Amino acid sequence: MKFIVSTTSLLRNLQLVNGVVNTNTVLPILEDFLFVIEKNKLTISGTDLETSIATTMEIESKANGKVAIPAKILVEYLKTLPEQPLTISIDDESFAVEITTDRGKYKLNGETGSDFPRIPAADNVEELTLSTAVLQKAINKTIFAVSNDELRPQMTGVYFQLNNEGITFVATDAHKLVKYKRTDVQAVSSTSFIVPKKALTLLKSILPSEDTQVKISYNSSNAFFKYNNVSLICRLIDAKYPDYNAVIPTENPNQLNLNRADILNTLRRVMIFSNKTTHQVILKINGNQLNVQAQDLDFSNEANEILDCQYSGADMEIGFNAKFLSEMLSAMDNEEVKLELSTPTRAGILLPTETESGEDLLMLVMPVMLSV
Amino acid sequence: MLSHSLVHIDLDTFFVSVERLKDSRLKNKPVLVGGNGDRGVVASCSYEARAYGIHSAMPIRTAKMLCPHAVIVRGDYEHYSKYSNMVTDIIKENVPVFEKSSVDEFYIDMTGMEKFFGTFKYMQDVRNKIIKETGLPISFGLSENKTVSKVATGEAKPNNCMQIHYGEEKTFLAPLHVRKIPMVGEKTTELLKKMGIIKIKTIQQMPMPVMTSILGENGTTIWKKANGIDNTPIEPYSERKSISTEETFDQDTIDVKKLGSIISAMTEKLAYQMRTENKLTSCITVKVRYSDFETHTIQKKIAYTSTDHSLIATVKELFKKIYQRRVLIRLIGVKFSGLVFGGHQINLLEDSENLLRLYQEMDFIRNKHGKNAVQRVSGMGYDFREFNPFNGIKK
Repeated sequence: MKFIVSTTSLLRNLQLVNGVVNTNTVLPILEDFLFVIEKNKLTISGTDLETSIATTMEIESKANGKVAIPAKILVEYLKTLPEQPLTISIDDESFAVEITTDRGKYKLNGETGSDFPRIPAADNVEELTLSTAVLQKAINKTIFAVSNDELRPQMTGVYFQLNNEGITFVATDAHKLVKYKRTDVQAVSSTSFIVPKKALTLLKSILPSEDTQVKISYNSSNAFFKYNNVSLICRLIDAKYPDYNAVIPTENPNQLNLNRADILNTLRRVMIFSNKTTHQVILKINGNQLNVQAQDLDFSNEANEILDCQYSGADMEIGFNAKFLSEMLSAMDNEEVKLELSTPTRAGILLPTETESGEDLLMLVMPVMLSV
Repeated sequence: MLSHSLVHIDLDTFFVSVERLKDSRLKNKPVLVGGNGDRGVVASCSYEARAYGIHSAMPIRTAKMLCPHAVIVRGDYEHYSKYSNMVTDIIKENVPVFEKSSVDEFYIDMTGMEKFFGTFKYMQDVRNKIIKETGLPISFGLSENKTVSKVATGEAKPNNCMQIHYGEEKTFLAPLHVRKIPMVGEKTTELLKKMGIIKIKTIQQMPMPVMTSILGENGTTIWKKANGIDNTPIEPYSERKSISTEETFDQDTIDVKKLGSIISAMTEKLAYQMRTENKLTSCITVKVRYSDFETHTIQKKIAYTSTDHSLIATVKELFKKIYQRRVLIRLIGVKFSGLVFGGHQINLLEDSENLLRLYQEMDFIRNKHGKNAVQRVSGMGYDFREFNPFNGIKK
């Protein structure tokens, strides 16, 4: 098997796939790219058994076939080459790979492609289409709230809830929760699934900056994200997502309106003086004045800032993890935000004061208990 | 290399001295502090009592046999810690860096201060100040490192001080008994004695690898200490990173239900203590000592918390795991470590608001009416004593 390909376009495609290729895996073949040639088309795939990425590109080749090539050495080598055509030939018996440039010859050992794990095919799927911009936004707004607790696998991914009214993306680690809803996209039938955080992180890193359409297909065990010549396939988390709607408090009589940039900057400063593990800050709201305090008794650190705000409700004192608050505020893009509160032991709800049409955003953060 | 000046300063028969301040009749008498009835141990004893062969950590019962007319005092830990803090404050005001290694012992780093005033003279002034302001006898040793200073303090006692000049450490240690080396206990002494090693001098003359082959890594450390080599730095006094409680039963027990109630009551008290101090724990340890003194501990890392229900559940789970032998239990203890400053991060899915409110109300009642004002029914009736974990003395 022999084919000709340009260095830059090969490298660009390899780098898309490379994110999913692990080094030091239990299965050595997972350190390889799978090259499959069929009718002048080269498909490159990589997998970690949970998530797979595949890209397709045009090449010149007379024969068809497949081979697994070690990823690290190939990418490292291609990075050093200037743009030029490469001739890659593979011995059909020994799977030895030989790369020829106008300057020299390079050899490395490949493995038989038939040992490469099978990447799931999109069988019995339903489909829907999203623009990359919307998908990117949904990932950015939710992914930071996903839990890392492997004892609760259901929370280690983003929950996609689809119906004829729209798509809702939910993420929570039981301390904070984000619910992002798009009403400008509809699904044919109602369904829901949990996409692992790792797959979404990878997807986020390979999504192109120009706006195109991403086709999302899904069945009971896998989700397939496909745009242009690239597809990302991931195994869904097989668990029941917690009933998040039931825990979002609806009656929150106290409303605090804030300038997002102001509160974010205050929190970033005050947080430096808080305990490095708990990042605890106390918000004291008195009339139209918000007092943000932090202290770390172990180091005698203390910070205290006063912010003007608009507040309607009873004066109160509530503790939060400042890291959570600032993560949430950073994931928003409105100028003005409002924090709805009820009691110091109940969730705070962070909302944008204005939303773009077609979207709906709610963030929730649990307070920390203050000593009585 | 700049030589160091390290001071070891130690209050003489600390608990006894404090008791004597309260009651001058105890002066010049054999006095024992410690013990809860028959099963306690001697936490501290006066020099008069030591003449009868009594030493600390000896069962009270044995001590009584050795010296039937000794005065036994139960001890008042709060009082001791008050005096200990007084001494700490004086030291804090007068020295650059210090380490509080126990209630009555301090290490002070005076390195670099020789230029300004004689370190020995200066430390004598500090010592006199402590004696004058607290009325407690105190001794210190000054030398190049911690080990030599500690040994020197021991030699200086009672109520005196001693300086070992740089370069004289080996000569100072040589004629002393191996037992004087810190970390050489009863068993090691026995072992060394069997090999004919009685004086530190013998260890000094031995090659280090021989000690290592006999006692492993400890052998290396002991050899170094015997030769006056010790590079351990002063660890400045810091806030405690753990809280604990333990209970020795009046009678060994196997009543699992009762044990469960006791550890849950212990946990409840510690959790309250953490909440009042604004602390969270990330590591739970459960300790069990059987009637044959075999002691087991087990620990578990958890997400930072200070709520009763999650702590009690974990403590009980650990107790179930560790209590494997069907043997009577003598002692049981709970420790929370990895403490950080902060309040409990409420969990959206697991914490019920009513429960959290309940804790707040209970804490409010405790703050107002005392820490025993309200508690779980399961822990009632087991009003276990709260002990100083160092010496088993009731607070």
